Amino acid sequence: MKIKVDIDLCQGHSVCLAEAPEVFDVVEVDDGYPLVKVLQGNPPEALRAKVERAAKYCPNRVITIIED
Amino acid sequence: MNETSAQRDKKLPPKVSGAKADMGHMEEFSANFGRFMMRANAECGELAEFNMAGQETVLMSGPEAQEAFLKTLDNKLSRAASYQATVPVFGKGVIFDAPPERMKAQLKIQVNALRYQNMKNYTAVINQEVEDWVADWGDEGELDFLDEFIQLTLHTATHCLLGADFRNQLTDEFKSLYHDLEAGLQAIAFVDPYMQQPVFEARDKALIRLQELISEIITERRKNSDKEYGDALETFMAGSYSDGSLLSDNEITGLVIATMFAGHHTSSGTATWILTELARHPNYSDEIVTELQTVFKDDGTITLESLREMPKLEAFIEEVLRLHPPLVLLMRKVMEDIDFKGTLIETGKTVAISTYGSHRNPDYFPDPETFNPARDKPDNLYAFIPFGGGPHKCAGNAFALMQLKAIISVLLPRYTFELVDPPETYQDDMSAMVLKPTGPCRLRYKKRQ
Ligand code: HEM
Repeated sequence: MKIKVDIDLCQGHSVCLAEAPEVFDVVEVDDGYPLVKVLQGNPPEALRAKVERAAKYCPNRVITIIED
Repeated sequence: MNETSAQRDKKLPPKVSGAKADMGHMEEFSANFGRFMMRANAECGELAEFNMAGQETVLMSGPEAQEAFLKTLDNKLSRAASYQATVPVFGKGVIFDAPPERMKAQLKIQVNALRYQNMKNYTAVINQEVEDWVADWGDEGELDFLDEFIQLTLHTATHCLLGADFRNQLTDEFKSLYHDLEAGLQAIAFVDPYMQQPVFEARDKALIRLQELISEIITERRKNSDKEYGDALETFMAGSYSDGSLLSDNEITGLVIATMFAGHHTSSGTATWILTELARHPNYSDEIVTELQTVFKDDGTITLESLREMPKLEAFIEEVLRLHPPLVLLMRKVMEDIDFKGTLIETGKTVAISTYGSHRNPDYFPDPETFNPARDKPDNLYAFIPFGGGPHKCAGNAFALMQLKAIISVLLPRYTFELVDPPETYQDDMSAMVLKPTGPCRLRYKKRQ
């Protein structure tokens, strides 16, 4: 699977970081909201459940999972 | 008239009929702005220009225009210029009165207080507040739930923002200060918030006193800096600008007020409507009770995690937000000429989108006036917009939904609810700045067997 994020919608709520810290970080930027940083664009299948939770529970629906 | 070349080449938005000299459409608009927006859209289409006491305002309708509105950044479509009425309420130098860089830093600190880590504490706080509230309900009774939810959400908001001590000592003085600030944000404040008016004088006095009160708490907390609170005030006090400097006490107070204003009546109005619609639709109510019993079958505790998997209740809440979106109208000021599909929206005009009208568009919501939580959700992200969208989508949306689900998770498995008054008397108050039911909103509750 591949991860796509729509960074314009991100406000740094950090649900993804809590659900799948292997795949997502939330980093400070110079101005404005902290933003998601994808650590693994093609995460292994073993992390699927975590990534799906991150996508589903993101309050701003920033994350999409694209199947290979 | 001295036309620019852009004006000569491009067409301008069509104008809505019925403008009166001087006041334009103000009267029709103030009487029921949701309906006025729908008329404007029906008459003129995607762009409809009307006149609010001299301010030329262009309503942008349909998902495409709404997306353009919501995604255009502050330098072109400014929220600050439209929301100047908040300046004397939040205080000087706060959010819409701060220079862009400082405003961004403040919004970021505000959102920090709503991040995942804090949300867990807030869930526990809200659960406790709801339990305390229902503790003396007995087996049956009748309440005005609009009033009750205004109280409850004031308690949860002060508890989450300012901590348990403040909440437990919530004084009449605080309530009256808060009331005076609220009264300062009525419709005329959007025309000129600095007029000589008793309500504005009361607003200014209230802000000064509230700044004193919160400053005292800040000073106290800075003395005991090793204590942890887990509330928003703690996050606001820790936040800093890019040069490392902390927020001033008055800026912190401003963020507290801004967050209360964003979250309070939006939440109380929605909670009231949810309970009213549950009372009107016992069949959905039963389905939701079954869902809640499944979620809480092993362990009755309400946590952020347990509240996340409630598709039936979520669909019900979304249908309530579709028909009764608390923020009916979102506005921006045009800072640079905008081209929307070949039509020119000129600098200086105001643009608006109407959640209320968008949610009643039959292309996306067939048979729009019917309450139907089972309806298909449109794929388009910009058709259903109770929380706005784009970069400035409601930062409290997760908090709001968590709180609403927590309230219903406590109430509904224990009690049934019925309307007390004739069904047609439960209506939206279309003259309020934040949509709410016309009070009182009386419901009768009975303990389930
Ligand atoms: C059902 C409840 C709520 C509704 C319907 C709602 C709706 C909205 C909408 C439509 C906007 C966008 C305004 C615009 O674009 O001009 C907004 C912004 C905002 N809301 Fe909410 N809101 C709710 C509850 C809350 C709560 C509980 C909080 C705080 C705890 C909150 C905090 C905010 C903040 C901070 C913003 C500004 C975000 C920014 O400027 O980036 N809201 N809300």
